[in-house]
Amino acid sequence: MSIRFEKVDHIYSENTPFAYQALSDVDLDISEGKITAVIGATGSGKTTLVQHLNGLLLPSKGIVEVNDVTIRAGEKVKDIKHLRSQVGLVFQFAEYQLFEETLIKDVAFGPQNFGMEVTQAEKLAKEALKTCGISEADFDKSPLELSGGQKRRVAIAGIIAMQPQVLVLDEPTAGLDPQGAKMMMDLFAQLNRQRHITIIIVTHNMEHVLSYCDEVVVMENGKMIMHCDKNKFFENEQYMQKALIDPPVIISFKKLCAEKGVQFSADVLDIKTLADKIAKRCVNE
Amino acid sequence: MNNVTLGKYLPLNSFVHRLDPRTKICVMFVLLVGIFLPCGFIGYGIIGLFLLISVFLSKLSVGYIWKSFKPTLITLAFLLVINIFVIKTGDVLISFWKITIYKDALIQTLYIVVRLLLMIVITTLLTATTKPLDLTLGIEDLLIPFEKLGFRTHDLAMMISLALRFIPTLLEEAQRILKAQASRGVDMENGSFKEKITAILSLIVPLFVSCFQKADDLADAMEARGYIVGAKRVRYKQLKFAWYDFAVLFVSNGLLALLIYIWLSK
Repeated sequence: MSIRFEKVDHIYSENTPFAYQALSDVDLDISEGKITAVIGATGSGKTTLVQHLNGLLLPSKGIVEVNDVTIRAGEKVKDIKHLRSQVGLVFQFAEYQLFEETLIKDVAFGPQNFGMEVTQAEKLAKEALKTCGISEADFDKSPLELSGGQKRRVAIAGIIAMQPQVLVLDEPTAGLDPQGAKMMMDLFAQLNRQRHITIIIVTHNMEHVLSYCDEVVVMENGKMIMHCDKNKFFENEQYMQKALIDPPVIISFKKLCAEKGVQFSADVLDIKTLADKIAKRCVNE
Repeated sequence: MNNVTLGKYLPLNSFVHRLDPRTKICVMFVLLVGIFLPCGFIGYGIIGLFLLISVFLSKLSVGYIWKSFKPTLITLAFLLVINIFVIKTGDVLISFWKITIYKDALIQTLYIVVRLLLMIVITTLLTATTKPLDLTLGIEDLLIPFEKLGFRTHDLAMMISLALRFIPTLLEEAQRILKAQASRGVDMENGSFKEKITAILSLIVPLFVSCFQKADDLADAMEARGYIVGAKRVRYKQLKFAWYDFAVLFVSNGLLALLIYIWLSK
């Protein structure tokens, strides 16, 4: 599943007084089977970028290639439905898209739209709901009876039930409590590992980028200014300071230790490994 | 949905933009009355000239106004066909096969076309050059005399401005939900009748839910800031007439007087 952007521009309301260029000259290759974070300030073009992935927005200039579907600026896309069945996109505050009477019906809605039989779709829906941590007793409830966090999970289940090869998430944890957010991120990591789904996450949370993602794409004023491995990204202190990004706690901690003359190697990126290293040194002394 | 031009404010800096909203509303009414006076094409010519100058002064492009007129063309074509079959007076223009076209049919249609065109230009001019909130302020001010009759002007104005305020929000919301459902394979354009109904439901139900939620939140937010229904209120923004407002009102009323004169002397 290859995803490629070639010199992509996007202009909203082109040829009107409201014209606004949201993307300019984006060249991007997203690696298959990895978790890629898309970061950048509000209004930098993150959401516009990811909406090109399933043809919700079409490029004003340039080419977008997703697997076997090529979208060229100014041309009509033939297999848009085929593309959308492969690329599942979860919107910001996805809970607002629920509309059916029961959870199971709502989650089965997606697969049915792509031509699946009701029984098969409901089977997939049940699996997806379980994967997202919804208990079976709630399957026949109305979406309106659930809490915000649960609704969000049901909405995500609605996309997972479509069995996409690429999962695109626009700030999936915005507005969730820390525990709910962690559960959500764990779920995505698990989907990535077990089903080899390519995952693209738009996020502001650097802790999530550090602990869950493989690569980082940085957007600024509609331009892609960086695309690299996450370790490389977090080593780039100059940029982080310039862009006012608060580094993850563990990176700051290591930096403070380094200033006092205690070095830790670059690959120590989670609390457990760090604690082990510290403990070992203390014992040695 | 971004192609809706009717009723959208265009932020330009022009003479018409600077006019007091009350002036513009009054002029709109005067012109609308003028359009319905039976003065024939001379009357329309006078109004048309006035509007042409206004459009020029407002810096709006003719293309923009044409865009708001375009949707009515289908209705007008339909009207022409009906008129051809219904109106059988005046000279015969063309006669072929079993159809005869009379002169009056064409003139009647032309009347309606011109009337509609003028009305659309007037309303587009008003809404494109006046911020929705200014428009509400203007309406509120003009309705103040009715307060003596127990009419609650302020409540009405608040309702209108809230409704106006939420049009873009709801459009945005609708677009977001449309996109979310499109990502789940909903096809709004193609598909069987039943599929289309489901497609529309998948848009309307979430939109309704979020509408009620937003209304609730807004009511709470207003009460939290001390809004009391029916309380006596003052306004931060005061409307003031400038000399050119009087000039415009004078010219437009003179125009109406002229039209009435033409009508009566016919």
